[in-house]
Amino acid sequence: MQIKHTYLLLLGLILLSSFTVIQETEVASTEIKLISTQTEFEVGQPVVLTFSTSSEVQIDLYCSNSYGSTVISSSLKNNTLEFSIPETITKKIGAINWTLLDDNKSLSGKLHILPKPEVAIMETYIGPPSIESGGKDFTTLVVIPTDSLDNPVPTHTLVIAKFQFLDSEEGFDIFTKNLIAYRNIYSKPESGRMLVSSESLGINSKEYTINVMPAIPTDFEISATRPHDYADGNQVTTFWTTIIKDEYNNVVSDGTFVTFFIKNGKGHILKTTGTTIDGVANSKIIHPDFADNWNIKAYVDGMSESNRISLSYKQVIKDFNVEFSEHNRLIEIGPLQSFMGQMIPDGMHIKLKIYRNNSLVNTLTKTSFNGYTSFKLKPAIYENGHYNFSIETAGLSKEFNSIKLW
Amino acid sequence: MVSLNKNILRTILIASYIMIVALIISGVSALFSYLNTGADRSTMLHTEIKKVDQYAPKMDWEPLQNEGRPMDDQTLNAIQHDYLDAWYVKQIAYKSNKTAGIKDYYTDSARKNLFDFIDLNKAQGISIEATTLHHNPTLEYFSQDGQLAVITDRNVVEYKRVFKAKELILETTETSTYQMVFLLEDGFWRIRHLVKDKADIYNNEPQQIEVNSLNIKGINYYPQANPWNMFGDEFSAEIIATDFKIIKDAGLNSVRLFVQYEDFGKEHVDAKKIEKLKQTLDAAEANNLKVVLTLFDFFGDYSVMNWTLNQRHAEAVVNAVKDHNALLAWDIKNEPNLDFESRGKDNVIAWLDSMIDLVKSTDPMHPVTIGWSNTESASILKDKVDFISFHYYEDLESFDSAITTLKAEIPNKPLVLQEFGISSYSGFWKPFGSSDEDQANYHKKIQEQIAANKLQFMSWTLYDFTDVPTAVVGSRPWNRNTQKHFGFIDKNGTKKEAFQYISKQ
Repeated sequence: MQIKHTYLLLLGLILLSSFTVIQETEVASTEIKLISTQTEFEVGQPVVLTFSTSSEVQIDLYCSNSYGSTVISSSLKNNTLEFSIPETITKKIGAINWTLLDDNKSLSGKLHILPKPEVAIMETYIGPPSIESGGKDFTTLVVIPTDSLDNPVPTHTLVIAKFQFLDSEEGFDIFTKNLIAYRNIYSKPESGRMLVSSESLGINSKEYTINVMPAIPTDFEISATRPHDYADGNQVTTFWTTIIKDEYNNVVSDGTFVTFFIKNGKGHILKTTGTTIDGVANSKIIHPDFADNWNIKAYVDGMSESNRISLSYKQVIKDFNVEFSEHNRLIEIGPLQSFMGQMIPDGMHIKLKIYRNNSLVNTLTKTSFNGYTSFKLKPAIYENGHYNFSIETAGLSKEFNSIKLW
Repeated sequence: MVSLNKNILRTILIASYIMIVALIISGVSALFSYLNTGADRSTMLHTEIKKVDQYAPKMDWEPLQNEGRPMDDQTLNAIQHDYLDAWYVKQIAYKSNKTAGIKDYYTDSARKNLFDFIDLNKAQGISIEATTLHHNPTLEYFSQDGQLAVITDRNVVEYKRVFKAKELILETTETSTYQMVFLLEDGFWRIRHLVKDKADIYNNEPQQIEVNSLNIKGINYYPQANPWNMFGDEFSAEIIATDFKIIKDAGLNSVRLFVQYEDFGKEHVDAKKIEKLKQTLDAAEANNLKVVLTLFDFFGDYSVMNWTLNQRHAEAVVNAVKDHNALLAWDIKNEPNLDFESRGKDNVIAWLDSMIDLVKSTDPMHPVTIGWSNTESASILKDKVDFISFHYYEDLESFDSAITTLKAEIPNKPLVLQEFGISSYSGFWKPFGSSDEDQANYHKKIQEQIAANKLQFMSWTLYDFTDVPTAVVGSRPWNRNTQKHFGFIDKNGTKKEAFQYISKQ
């Protein structure tokens, strides 16, 4: 009986105590007040928010900055709730908004982490890295001075942009706005290398280089050199440009591509190309193998052109012999002789056209060797009968009609 | 005799032997071909790139007046795309406290700050589910070489849910102004500097719309032949027009229609469906009927990460028909309280809250409501909606008291009994169901109660249906068959007894 009473008493006590615990938490939430008054802090400084509270309950604080949000636990001392804002948040500039996570979430506010006028790194972006001379083209220097905690400096911080080009050295005052400071750098008439640097609050950036390239080429002249003026199909004619310059008298960049267009006597176009070194481009082409007149003009595609020059080539082979033998199936051509009577250098083209019943049967092409060449007409291919032949070389042509093959 | 038996035995033995061998071979070959299957070789090349919209908050660019190089559309699009991706990966990272994806959209120095937060939050079991609903970016500067851009994004509306130890401790909507420096690195526009300039608690008091003239006497409408698939291939404007005439002639003045989320193309709203919807509204206008349009039917995903996509859907639908004369009101969602248990009550309510803001900002003219499935939930968000809608399928005895309670909670807004009705099904699956006569009595009684309580109403529904999709009431035959017989007109087109009580004239 005794034991039963004790149990009942104990149970009753436990029940009672649980009620009191619940009541305590319900009462708690009231009367929390913000004590801290400072709302602006320099970046990197510790930030502590304090609240006075009448209860002993730990409350969390939500806070959010530029990069993210988190929840901070409090420390409770003498009815004062203290929240020390983590370094992750205090080391970045910008607004922080916070809300106290009590039951009705009525307390909220803002803090500002201010940038400090201190530069650790001159974050520099410059581009494009090469520009055209002449004063129309420009490159841009963008500087973001940042402090040791990787924050941009305050708006309207002075940045000095410094440029060196040939014998001029200049400095410009620019100011940060929208996190950055920038200056457009226009080219000068001359080409060359421009060195760029910047300075803010006593800290200097690295040296950056801008290539000021010559502007587009202006018109130029061409000339030709050749060992002789004979159309021997063997020697080489070289075309030269004068020094190609832009409108500001800068020699164009090495590698400027020049195309020489050659129009021959038949109106056909031949083409040869070269690239400039020190403004001069040259290009070579082999002589024609028949008398011809060439008209030559050079272009830098889409930009500039040269004058027009003309060259004429003299015929070297005046005449040639043709002999038929072995049932007229072996045709020997030669000697092919050049301007001094010397044998034409090997490789002269000889074309044999074979006709039967006035229709072209075949065209055979061979090159000369030691001034001679020969064609052999095989009976298996060219049946016995009458054929017409036409032989062409060096712009000359000879015809042989009704030659009987047997 | 003996030899015959032996032969039979032999045959059986040989046959079973062949069968076993065949089985083994087919088994081995199945295993072999299984082991030979793998990724399609063409997938190694990553030739197909599927662009999926994951994050589509409303973007309102200020007119381009930037310093530096003039901006072109293509680059601006690329920046916007990467900027939104930067937000998306950040939201995912803070939700999961994992760093995946961050490095693509934040430069080396910037991503450190995010990693710091992730470490901090991970250590304390904090996770943050967030989304941004509205951006107003201004391009401040674009560098001559096209590699650097400065953007100020003013009054970004950010919705956040903060969890500690998996428990929701704060739900907040903030507006913030961000300044950002972007660098083009490896083909990505990455955030280099990010500074929040201003931050405030978002306080949007939407304009209440005048609803004194609202006098809804209507019906929930689906065509008889294709209920819950009204705007599908069997869409027929003629049938709808005929039905609308029946409704008008019965003395009603409005219909409630449903726009299904997936059917209408989710975030990329299908223009063909919109066209059908407009034809339906035209038919309503021709018959002098007004339309309450219920959005987000057959939708159950309220997850914060997809809010922006949901909002683009609503925005497109609302913009398409907001100027139509037949439109009466927007019903944000049908019976959202049924999703409280599976999707979380606060999640659903937050979704509805922001969706009301969006619909009101897109269409400030038409009133907004939510079709709650019972009177108990009807007071949720009562200050945000313009009139209160609720459904009632319970016992008519307790109807009056439920309305009295509701009126006490919401004294100042019109109440619309948006769905009610009774099935006249009585058959194999429900032997003690109601008859046509019971249905008629029910409508007679509730019309009297509606009149007595000065309610507006929309009944369920015009037709008995021959087929009810399982998505509506599940696949249990007693539910499906019951759902088929709520109509005032039976499946043969004959008016049932209840038709005379479709409206209290």
